[in-house]
Amino acid sequence: MSTTRTLSHRARWAVPAVAAVVVAGALAGPPLLAAADEPALPEATPVELLTSIAEAEPAAHSGTVVHTARLGLPTGGLTEITGADPIGLLGGSSTLRVWTDGAERSRVSLLGSASEYSVVHDGPQAWTYSSTDDVVTHYTLDAAAQARYEDAQEGQTPPGAPELPTPEEAAQQALEHVEEFSSVTVLEQATVAGRDAYQLQITPETDGTLVEQVRIAVDGETFTPLQVQVWSTSDTAETPALEVGYTDITFATPDDAVLSFSAPAGAEVVEETVSLPSEEASGEASAEHTPPETIGEGWESVIIIDDVDLQGLLAGDPEALADAAASHPMPGSDSGQELMEEFMSDSEGNHGPPSLDAAALYEQLTTEVPEGRVLSTTLLSVLITDDGRLLIGSVPVETLQEMA
Amino acid sequence: MSPAETATPTTAPRTGGGVRHLLGSELRLVFGRRRNVVLLLGLAAVPILLGVVIFITQDTVVGSQGPGFIGRVAGNGLFLVVAALFTCLPFLLPLTIGIVSGDAIAGEAATGTLRSLITVPVPRTRLLLVKAIVALCFAAAAVLTIAIVGLITGWVLFGISDLVLLSGDTITAGAGLFRVLGVAAYVAMSMSGLVMVGVLLSTLTETPVAAMAGTVTVAVVSAVLDSLPQLSAIHPGLLTHYWIDFAEFLRLEVDPAALAPGLLVQAAWVLLAGTIAWSRFTTADISS
Repeated sequence: MSTTRTLSHRARWAVPAVAAVVVAGALAGPPLLAAADEPALPEATPVELLTSIAEAEPAAHSGTVVHTARLGLPTGGLTEITGADPIGLLGGSSTLRVWTDGAERSRVSLLGSASEYSVVHDGPQAWTYSSTDDVVTHYTLDAAAQARYEDAQEGQTPPGAPELPTPEEAAQQALEHVEEFSSVTVLEQATVAGRDAYQLQITPETDGTLVEQVRIAVDGETFTPLQVQVWSTSDTAETPALEVGYTDITFATPDDAVLSFSAPAGAEVVEETVSLPSEEASGEASAEHTPPETIGEGWESVIIIDDVDLQGLLAGDPEALADAAASHPMPGSDSGQELMEEFMSDSEGNHGPPSLDAAALYEQLTTEVPEGRVLSTTLLSVLITDDGRLLIGSVPVETLQEMA
Repeated sequence: MSPAETATPTTAPRTGGGVRHLLGSELRLVFGRRRNVVLLLGLAAVPILLGVVIFITQDTVVGSQGPGFIGRVAGNGLFLVVAALFTCLPFLLPLTIGIVSGDAIAGEAATGTLRSLITVPVPRTRLLLVKAIVALCFAAAAVLTIAIVGLITGWVLFGISDLVLLSGDTITAGAGLFRVLGVAAYVAMSMSGLVMVGVLLSTLTETPVAAMAGTVTVAVVSAVLDSLPQLSAIHPGLLTHYWIDFAEFLRLEVDPAALAPGLLVQAAWVLLAGTIAWSRFTTADISS
């Protein structure tokens, strides 16, 4: 009788134990392997890095982005009810897929478990598509804006379709006024999405903001932002309040089919014409719409918008949305603009039969204060006063209340 | 030393023909059993029933309603396959798998045939392997039944046209057929972990019903745990967590990296449940 046939009972039970160790090893293995591979990029000073990022040609790429928000909002589990919806970005982890040619064409898809919300930019046009309600929204420029777009050839921002957050966009906002109001340091190099990356740490030079620090990882070769993490003053060191970063990225021009879009047969199509105020006309425009007033600067800046049609906003009224959209940009408040856009895009995404009662959500998310209602997150405060003014800033709620 | 251990054959290992012979006879046994045929027929009824209901109600107000992909079936018969698999995934497929894989060893023990099986020169390891393969084949056949019947029913009732992906892009019907077959293949692979859990439970008891109920319970409990956000830390390891990921085949570009976690989790469950079943079965007393 051979020994293999007479294995003791104990030896036989060792087999599943070994299998368990193998499984545990496979789970723990990849991070250990990644740690062994130290990136070795040439040294760079903060100024050199900022210059490189600013001057870098946007590179065509595609990849998977994970967006994690810990904003302290009671929105957990919402996406499980509604399918892929930008409101899910306000809390928890979301996965997005990004394709871009580096210029004017891109596609960003927010993945739900069996649903998808896509935003496709193709030059002067943009589409959003929600698989949950099978609705396409097609954004085009009006004639005047289209003519200006064609003259300018490039550099024009595509129309006001909702944006889904990507590391590039978040980094752009964080770096906008970086030198004036922040101290920038270069941290040790890291590996992000399998790429050797530089890490920049941006710390606001003020205590008046909710933002503690921002960390940006940029690819060592193309200087494409790979990851942005934002810590709020109420966070612990390990868990940023907002984190958006690639988990894998490929630098190659995506398929043409990916970067174009045509509405599927049977889908409801909503046409939106966007008029971008030209530079000369912006004076006139300000006569109609009270321009948003900005108080303070840098990280502490607060935007005040008068005459907000809140009821219209909550009902998804396009006109009210257009007014609110005029509040862009919000200098210095990186996550603020993003959050605002998420609110906007949520309301916009809910054309057709509304899947979520916006008014009920508003009641749920905001709390009552003497001045009106307050939406308080770890990174952004919003005060909606009873007389219809909207105050937004990455500052404590008390600061907004004092201003109101 | 237990009497069972002495019952382990001591003859020289048989050739591969022995496995093939045993596999053939076990396959005939399982697929020939009336109860199992009825199970497959029951699963085949799901896409037909679903298709007919959608066909009748498609022009009414409730026609386009329904979870997941059901609302899209009326426009394209290909979606009936996906909708039927989606409908069977939470309970009917685990139930079918539980009945067959839970019966694998315990059924033989209950009818008293296990002892005679292992006293004829069939090593226990080989017997367990064959039982597991047959249970896996049955699970694959169950998924295939739903897919094929769904495809035919969808084609007859709604016709097959270009497929609209979750991203809103349209692909040709031929490419769409491949996507739908990918969905079926992924669902079949997703069942492998549960099949091995059933085989494991089947080695722990001589009462087949206990192993069957246990297997279904494992699937249901796993789904319940998966729905609790407080337990998100253990979700990636749950048997059922990635089952819904078949939707990856309906996205614009099928990313193999997105399919890998689900398949790896199944592989881990197959490995663990399989080795525990082996240890248990090769060391257990078998007296009936």
